[in-house]
Amino acid sequence: MDKQIRVFDPTTTPKEQALCYAPRPTTLQGKKVGLVENTKYNSDTLLLKIGKILQEEYGVQGMLLRRKRNAGVPAHEEIIGEIKAECDVVIAGVGD
Amino acid sequence: MGSANLQSKSYEVSDTSEAIEFYYDKGWTDGLPIVPPTEASIRAMLDAAKLEPGQEIAFIENRQVSVTAEKVAINAVMAGCKPEYMPVVVAAVEAIGDPRYGYHGPAASTGGSAVFMLVNGPMARELDINCGDNLFGPGWRANATIGRAVRLIMRNAIGTLPGKLDRSTLGHPGKYTYCIAENEAESPWPPVHVERGFRPEQNAVTVFAALAPHQVSNQLSNTAAGVLTTMADSMHISGSVTGQPQYVVVLAGEHMRTIASDGWSKADVKQFLFEHTHNSIAHLKRTNRMPGAVLPEDETTMRPLVQTPEDFIVIAAGGRAGVASAFIPGWGGRSSSQSVTKEIRRP
Repeated sequence: MDKQIRVFDPTTTPKEQALCYAPRPTTLQGKKVGLVENTKYNSDTLLLKIGKILQEEYGVQGMLLRRKRNAGVPAHEEIIGEIKAECDVVIAGVGD
Repeated sequence: MGSANLQSKSYEVSDTSEAIEFYYDKGWTDGLPIVPPTEASIRAMLDAAKLEPGQEIAFIENRQVSVTAEKVAINAVMAGCKPEYMPVVVAAVEAIGDPRYGYHGPAASTGGSAVFMLVNGPMARELDINCGDNLFGPGWRANATIGRAVRLIMRNAIGTLPGKLDRSTLGHPGKYTYCIAENEAESPWPPVHVERGFRPEQNAVTVFAALAPHQVSNQLSNTAAGVLTTMADSMHISGSVTGQPQYVVVLAGEHMRTIASDGWSKADVKQFLFEHTHNSIAHLKRTNRMPGAVLPEDETTMRPLVQTPEDFIVIAAGGRAGVASAFIPGWGGRSSSQSVTKEIRRP
């Protein structure tokens, strides 16, 4: 059958972004860990527990817990700046 | 206008039936058949809003997606919109791209919200956007297709696919379409867009990340306080309860007239609902809505359902007869997503 209608694609391709990971430390010994809490119930409890394991089993020397404004947005500049200035590694996560 | 070439990839098909099946096969529909978007129908959409295909309508930060007029037009055709609906769809897309709406949260959350849309101003009547009988039901092309167009744009242009970026646990039927107008002709109160600083003759769309409508029945009271006592009692445990989202309150014909005949303004309605929807911390803890053991002071410590009375968006709409009104809890909390009103620009 002859093709008679030309129809158009409704989708969009997201803009490509180059992601650049910070270099990973070879050990956590003596490092300070930033913990980014996402405001959901128990997320602070979970992160502090992870932090405690890192201290007890991996030699982490300190923790800095900071709270995002809410779970649906990226961490704001203020806490990113603080963690960048003070911490060697960071743990962030979203979960229900 | 709209003279630049369309940039989207195109495909040849034999006829409308083949086109409909082709869009199903591609995963480009909401489950209902689409209207095949041809160059002529896409250009008619663009011309109706005086837009060039490449013009950016919204940029969705989390997705790094630029939603162009061309993609809005293609999806509006697919949804079944008339070209004259296009300015409304464009304004709604601008609104969901506003940082105050916070697209990513309500679009991706397990909480499962839809984009509720309220159209105010003369265009609502010109386009026959239903504000009366069967308010949230089927039967009006504008209500059915404007809301559907926005959902198709979310799906196709922004990639908000169920089970992937849209992780709604339940969702609700408003995700097909959720578009109404305010009954400005019969309302005793200023319409929502005027409350938000627009002039009555301006046109505006308000978007709101919304759960499903809850119907509230009161056929006994003939006072404002009586009707709203029932409303408040139904509302006070609803939605996410502790998140303090905004709420839409839809007051339909009989209740609207009862409340207005007592001389109550929209501000009075909001204040009354604010004062009568508090919950004790003890109750919230006992019912597992807040963590922790119940402390003695929790019995008398009250938490409001919303942060301020202005977080109730009061809309006069619905059928003239009947003893029902409705409330719609917002998604999450106001700190995560707020209702946003944008002007609809006439071409």
